[in-house]
Amino acid sequence: MRELRVLLNQTQKVRLQAALQHLRDLSFQASSPAIPVTIADTIPVNREDGILKGHGTLEFNGQVVATQCGVVEQVNKLVYVRALKARYKPEVGDIIIGRVNEIAPKRWRIEINFSQDAVLMLQSMNLPDGIQRRRTAVDELNMRSIFEENDVVCAEVRGFQHDGSLHLQARSQKYGKLERGQLLTVPAYLVKRRKQHFHHLEQYGVDLILGCNGFIWVGEHVVLGENEMPEDQESRMENQEQNFTPLKVRQQICRIANSVRLLSAHGFSLSLEIILDTAEASVSSNVEINDMLGAEFYVQTAEREVQRRASLLKKSRR
Amino acid sequence: MVGLSAGEKHFICGGIAQDLRSDGRQRLQFRPISVLIGVIPQANGSAQVRLGATDVIVSVKAELGKPTLLQPDKGKVAIYVDCSPTAGPAFEGRGSEELSTELSVGLQRCLLGDKSGAVQPTPVPNGIFLAYECATEFRAGIDLSSLIVVEGKVCWDLYVDGLVISSDGNLLDALAAAVKVAHLLRMFICCTDIDGLAALSNTGIPKVSVSLGPSPEDQPEVDVSDEEFLQFDTSGIPVVVTLTKVGRHYIVDATAEEESQMSSAVSLSVNRNGHICGLTKRGGAGLDPSVVLDMISVAKHVAKNLTSVLDSEIAAAEAAEDDES
Repeated sequence: MRELRVLLNQTQKVRLQAALQHLRDLSFQASSPAIPVTIADTIPVNREDGILKGHGTLEFNGQVVATQCGVVEQVNKLVYVRALKARYKPEVGDIIIGRVNEIAPKRWRIEINFSQDAVLMLQSMNLPDGIQRRRTAVDELNMRSIFEENDVVCAEVRGFQHDGSLHLQARSQKYGKLERGQLLTVPAYLVKRRKQHFHHLEQYGVDLILGCNGFIWVGEHVVLGENEMPEDQESRMENQEQNFTPLKVRQQICRIANSVRLLSAHGFSLSLEIILDTAEASVSSNVEINDMLGAEFYVQTAEREVQRRASLLKKSRR
Repeated sequence: MVGLSAGEKHFICGGIAQDLRSDGRQRLQFRPISVLIGVIPQANGSAQVRLGATDVIVSVKAELGKPTLLQPDKGKVAIYVDCSPTAGPAFEGRGSEELSTELSVGLQRCLLGDKSGAVQPTPVPNGIFLAYECATEFRAGIDLSSLIVVEGKVCWDLYVDGLVISSDGNLLDALAAAVKVAHLLRMFICCTDIDGLAALSNTGIPKVSVSLGPSPEDQPEVDVSDEEFLQFDTSGIPVVVTLTKVGRHYIVDATAEEESQMSSAVSLSVNRNGHICGLTKRGGAGLDPSVVLDMISVAKHVAKNLTSVLDSEIAAAEAAEDDES
């Protein structure tokens, strides 16, 4: 994500510092505080249990030190450092959004912010209009009519093949090409794996898809099964003027997109509730869409997050 | 720069047509601008300007030199822009050369007028001619004659170096803003008893005392003072407003995504008095003369706001600097 830079005046700086300090305190009160480390920090470990040094750690002068910035994680004996701004690490079943990089024989190569391009085979997807595919050579030649280069597509992680390549699948109407909206990229760790990644915000008429790889789609709502045939698109682009996203919907898209930008600039995990919260707060306090990225709302968001986490903590204690 | 899919392009164009761009801005709204002054201590003046995710540094160095024979009454200004590979993988190796040259030339045109240092109404049989015509006064952004120390003998050479650290569109405006701010600093401007330098009195170049030799043929001795500076008059340096035409409308401060959709872009440099100091056009598509005229009036209006924003940023940055010292 291109970083958002905010200019704060003196009082806003003080308020932000206070809010961040609150958040730090709250995270220490939570059950298992995460230990943030930078390079060469000593990692406190219990030697008697015997440990295994994992990724990002090194034995130095009899101590375990971190070799990268991140958060210390421990799984049984294994101690490792999870980097915060690392690339996305796919897991089977993740819903991801990617951009088509290349069309190769029978497959699309898709950029998903992983260390390599993912592969979407022609045979592992249902055609957008749901018709049965006839596996002919002609079909393979027509792959561009389904996805072209640079298209934004949504798919599911199918798994790693034997040769180490990552394969995707798109066997449902809800997967496929995404149009009429904007793609945002945030650090992948901000999107937690949940039951639901597709959200249709009915009150706004907006589709929000939180890809596990940190790609987030905010676009106009598309009714499933009403995907036009590729031929229609040509004519649709021609009379562009009539086909623009309605202004009302666009305002909502921009508002939600700016909420995502703002939250990711703060480094808060993205969930549907918090995104909607931020968007609604901006409406109720009469903040223009553009001013959502301004200093005042930036600080307010941090303060609101403090309140939210504090109330969560209270509830969990009860 | 990643490509955009047809759907996204359509969305961006639609946003511009409906006066609501992807980040919620209107067509003539700038992104928040931030200014840091004095980022390079060795330079006579330096500034870092951030415009959204666009990030540029400009340093200005002043050296004593000799004026050219053709223009003995003028100093020299060299403008060079470099794009750092940190801004994108495309800028690695020689990849940035094309863009660097384009930006250098663009900045030269906007700040210095044409090569001779003064804008002259060259009759070009298209809209550009009209643009010159409607500017009531032609004046180069940086007044080169103010850089002279001893006519024909000694002048100041200004080396303006720009570096693009991060690129998200609208580089020219950001660079020009940085040049404007950077000039505020300690530029070693000279001070002699020659009257012509009175104009420089609120500009920041170091004080120089010149002792003229007995015969006019001698090279004068020059003594640069380290303590005393003269303030270089920066109020005359124009700001650059780039109007990017997308579809039937034009926008200011385009992001990289929006720039990928442009048909053409006109950069106008406007000084404090609302005078056009330079004009350059990029992009292949032609423009109707009436559109250019329209753009000029819009640019004047936008430049006025931008100048006042920059002024307040400069004041804030200077205040912060004073606090520290």
